[in-house]
Amino acid sequence: MKKLVLTFLALALIPLSQISAQEEISLQGKELFGGMQARHIGPALMSGRINDLETHPTNTRIFYAGSAGGGVWKTNDGGATFSPIFDDHVQSIGVVTLDPKDPDKTIWVGTGETWTRNSVSVGDGLYKSTDGGSNWKEIPGFENSERIASIVINPNNTDVVYVGVLGALWGDSEDRGVYKSTDGGTTWKKVLYIGPSTGAGDVIMDPKNPNVLYASMWQFRRTGWGFNSGGENSGLYKSTDGGATWNKIHNGFPEGKLGRIAVAVAPSDGNILYAVLETEDKSKNGLWKSSDAGKSWEHLNNDFGLTVRPFYFSRITVDPRDPDVVVKGGLTGSISRDGGKTFKPLGNMHSDIHDIVFHINDSDIIYSGTDGGVYRSWNGGTTFEIVEDLPLSQFYHISVDDAEPYNVYGGLQDNGSWYGPSSSPGGVNARDWNSVGAGDGFRVLKHPTKNIIYSEMQGADNVWRYDVERNKTKTIQPLPQKGDAELRFNWNAPMAVSAHVPDRFYMGSQFLHKSDDMGDTWTIISPDLTTNDPAKQDQSKSGGLSVDNSGAENHTTIFTIAESPLDANIVWVGTDDGNVQVTTDGGKNWNNVTANLTGIPKNTWVYHIEASVHGKGTAYAVFDGHTAGDMKQYAMKTTDYGKTWTSIISDDIQQNAFVRNIQEDYENEDLLFLGTEMGLYVTIDGGSNWSKFTNNMPSVAVHFIDLQKQTNDLVMGTHGRGVIIIDDISPLRELNQEVLAKDVHFFNTEAFTMSEESGFSGSFGGETQFVGQNKPTSARIAYYLKKRHTFGKMSMEIQDMDGNKVATLVPEKSKGINIVNWDFNMKAPKMAEAKTISFGGFTSPRVPAGKYKVILTKGKDTYEHTLDLNYDKTALTTLAERKKQEEMTKTMFTMVEDLAYLVYEIGQMQEKANEVMENDPKGKKVAEKYYNALEALRKDLVITTGDNYVASAEPELRERMGELYANIASSYDRVSGAQMQNYEVINTEFSEAKQRYANIQKKEGEKFMKYLEKNDMEAPKVDSKADFLDAK
Amino acid sequence: MKIARTLFIAMLLVAMAPMASAQTADEIIDTYFENTGGKANWEKIKSIKSTGKASFGPQEFPFTQYMMEDGRMAVTISLQGQELTPQAFDGENMWGTNFQSMQAEAQDSETSENYKKNEAKDMPDVFLNYKDKGYTIEKMDDDTIEGTEVFKIKLTKNPIMVDGKEEESVSIYYFDKENFVPIASETTINAGPQKGMTTQTVFSEYLEAGDVYMPFNITQKFNGQVGQSITIENIEINPDIDESIFEMPEKN
Repeated sequence: MKKLVLTFLALALIPLSQISAQEEISLQGKELFGGMQARHIGPALMSGRINDLETHPTNTRIFYAGSAGGGVWKTNDGGATFSPIFDDHVQSIGVVTLDPKDPDKTIWVGTGETWTRNSVSVGDGLYKSTDGGSNWKEIPGFENSERIASIVINPNNTDVVYVGVLGALWGDSEDRGVYKSTDGGTTWKKVLYIGPSTGAGDVIMDPKNPNVLYASMWQFRRTGWGFNSGGENSGLYKSTDGGATWNKIHNGFPEGKLGRIAVAVAPSDGNILYAVLETEDKSKNGLWKSSDAGKSWEHLNNDFGLTVRPFYFSRITVDPRDPDVVVKGGLTGSISRDGGKTFKPLGNMHSDIHDIVFHINDSDIIYSGTDGGVYRSWNGGTTFEIVEDLPLSQFYHISVDDAEPYNVYGGLQDNGSWYGPSSSPGGVNARDWNSVGAGDGFRVLKHPTKNIIYSEMQGADNVWRYDVERNKTKTIQPLPQKGDAELRFNWNAPMAVSAHVPDRFYMGSQFLHKSDDMGDTWTIISPDLTTNDPAKQDQSKSGGLSVDNSGAENHTTIFTIAESPLDANIVWVGTDDGNVQVTTDGGKNWNNVTANLTGIPKNTWVYHIEASVHGKGTAYAVFDGHTAGDMKQYAMKTTDYGKTWTSIISDDIQQNAFVRNIQEDYENEDLLFLGTEMGLYVTIDGGSNWSKFTNNMPSVAVHFIDLQKQTNDLVMGTHGRGVIIIDDISPLRELNQEVLAKDVHFFNTEAFTMSEESGFSGSFGGETQFVGQNKPTSARIAYYLKKRHTFGKMSMEIQDMDGNKVATLVPEKSKGINIVNWDFNMKAPKMAEAKTISFGGFTSPRVPAGKYKVILTKGKDTYEHTLDLNYDKTALTTLAERKKQEEMTKTMFTMVEDLAYLVYEIGQMQEKANEVMENDPKGKKVAEKYYNALEALRKDLVITTGDNYVASAEPELRERMGELYANIASSYDRVSGAQMQNYEVINTEFSEAKQRYANIQKKEGEKFMKYLEKNDMEAPKVDSKADFLDAK
Repeated sequence: MKIARTLFIAMLLVAMAPMASAQTADEIIDTYFENTGGKANWEKIKSIKSTGKASFGPQEFPFTQYMMEDGRMAVTISLQGQELTPQAFDGENMWGTNFQSMQAEAQDSETSENYKKNEAKDMPDVFLNYKDKGYTIEKMDDDTIEGTEVFKIKLTKNPIMVDGKEEESVSIYYFDKENFVPIASETTINAGPQKGMTTQTVFSEYLEAGDVYMPFNITQKFNGQVGQSITIENIEINPDIDESIFEMPEKN
């Protein structure tokens, strides 16, 4: 039977592999990337924007946070820590709602952020989980909803679900309004629709009567250069028949256009409603209250906190137990305890409060969702503390330096500019990140040779040159000079440093500005490179009913600058209104190559240009049309300075995944990385096929990618999940048909440096703080398997070049790329047996630098690969000192095992003596003498009493020897004088112990052996030292 | 003979092709047991003794695991002459050696009760007669894991108590489409400081253990990073086991 099973399995596989050997092997996604994994380093200390909070109706430990760009997170411990539960899907979240009857299992998520700032992302529909968030199903019918603001469920019949779709921000759409399902989401009916530019904001249900519904409808539109909130179509509606009919409830409201409306009903009294209005009459803006379920309205308050930025803060929450306690989102958030007549600001926390929820049982406990994450208050909203476990940082841009480990620099939405290490002792902690800019942060660049960092805030209002060592900052933004036109900087203004002239620094307004003295003086080296369309330049009226001229809509500006890494005179510029321009003479002449971009719609935002290392005329440009309602992917390549372009997009990139960035590989021209709104895509064939990278990589918007040159690490700045890194992508360079056809292929690796860093990390706070994953400092063994190894043995070991085994590793067995790490350690020594543990025995000696073989054994086949190991250049020792350290380590290692063998021998002798003592009264005396002599010696060699903590015995020879061994073996410095002196003590003591043993053997031992011999009894059985060491 | 065999293979392949496209969860489980020795052979297993090495990063410990059909279980490791029992279940209580005092201590009763409800019933295989244990299975959308196309089966065990509140106990198992054996499973950790995080267990090196095939390598991962890896060197089916190993020793 067994044989049959094996035959069946083996034979079933053969035809498949034969087929694949003949045809072109095209691996996609997880098949290709196998065990390559992304790692997340945060930061989380400033977290990121939250769109919606949702409490559990009965379990006080659980609540959810739906974030603007980082997915859905769940806490099981009242907000101390969170875990992501929506990583496979779009990360821009509008609303999270739990089924009232089945809140542990049934979760609804409406995607697409609803606080419609300029940098807002997009959603792609409605999702439902029926297993607590482990698995999600997309609900058909909402694919084009773009942003869902509300989901309400009838608590008596949870098959009845209402969904409020705010809809498309940048264009007309009929996928808007209020939808109803009566069968748990299988079929839907649009029950309230006003028009293609008016969507549903808040949809709420009366707390007692599920047929009574309220819906706020909002007419709104955003373009790349402006925003318009409000119109004739905005309004507040009520239905009393489960959504079948709707009536406006405006009794008391001012006439004319309305903007965004927030509405809430008091959970404790369904007659009390609060609405926050945006109107044409400033004096009527703000808070309105109805005490008769919407029949009439009274205006209560138009303070700043109630009227500020309606498109961003239209959220009102009523205390579930007290209808007079009302909280309004806003710049600081406001709370009223007198039914909305007066408000005071909420306590200090990150500004921009988007949602507030009360604890289900205790109104002193309030959770708040802000531009800087989730906050908790324990005293009714006066003091707030931040949740430190939500790595939702929203990068606009990142860059890297060449330090070891390299640093990552970047700017964040509403959270300034930062840099932090890509690895740090104990993981990348909050305290590892350094602030280098205020306001909104965007591009942050390190000077190529000096310890200087450039950073900026919105619209280049300030550009900073920060001298890190001296902690000195200077503002250096280009300023208008005599005769200059007014400068137009993008909200996210482009900067670039030169690879050729270290002090050269570029900035883009509508002109390209160049400085050769790190920003002290500037020269304009271009004409206006934009379309300079005046229709897109008046932002003073942007905002609609409430003017919102933050600068975020500044348009007809340069957005990307790319100096060729091969020639300082070649500079590319891309503008937010669709122009690609290039100079080949350092700015004397400019060539507008926009007309050559076949297939790119006119005026499509040039989001990034990458000047190639593979040819002076080679460049990539990506285009983002989403602010014109065009979510298609556009990426073009030119090899002739923009005269002709080829699209490098294939149809295996998902819909709506518009492109923000591209990164080329420095060695393999066909290897490219594409940052899209829905995650990272990789091509190994120049763009003919793209694979989505999903190994620990969420479908998050990737705004910027950099490839760190020394490590080949791919570093991504995401807009919602911080910095995500894929370590060493070099294996992808080697993938071609020949490699893919091999059963096993080891990827080339450069020599590894055995890092000698040995500082302290201090893990304080790690219980509830996000800690970023480090890059392993070990040797990275990368190999490709054509097929996953599931049946039969597969092993991996490290051997020296003479074939001696040095270490055993556990091989990965994925189809595709596999990564195994080896920490350069050999086996730890075998310690003498004792009553307690000698911790010195956990130290493994490191191997000397040199060449080593990796032997992979798979069934009967073996595969070999050679590794080169180097010593750390920062070593404290000379080579001779290190060799001495290695020699002493070896000496001590041997001594530790010699002692283990001696104790073993003693134990074997004692066992025999004991046997005689127990079974042979005649021999008891001689055996006992022998036993006692051995026991006296054993007690001096190893600990025989106590425990591993404070009831521990005094250390004996084993413990002291083990400690000296561990100290020498784990040291990165020469063997110290103190260690050598200690060695003399221990060596002498051990020699004496061995002598004692020899003396016992000669005296009591000989007598005992003679007795055994005389009585035809078996001598004690003692394994050879080699066998002893091999045994477990 | 040769012709007959070729025919037999051809028939098998034909039979397999449509199977792979429309499988129910039960068909997948049945095929798994069939391909690994047959359900009858699985049902004959009353006790298992496995020996091997467990590695946590650079540290490696030889271990022995004993499992009984009635759920009793013990894992022992030998460390510098000390026999430790990091985890055991005596039929009623989970217990283990406290590393500081080297004394046996009972785990909290919730942990024991939870073990009794589920894991104690999972010898020799979690899916064997799963209905009798009160478990349910459900086929989810196909997926790719370990670079390999897989069937995805959701296994819901009996509800457990976590810090005083009842919670579901759900795992996802991934069965290789080619040979129908599980190559990975995922579980959301439902207690302790890592509650809410997903842990992945990867199964490989299926080898004969008595009359059935079992994975000889089991590796646990968090976010793709290896936590613990167990490499089994030998599995004895229905060996003689000194049952005192399961009993919690008195403190001395």
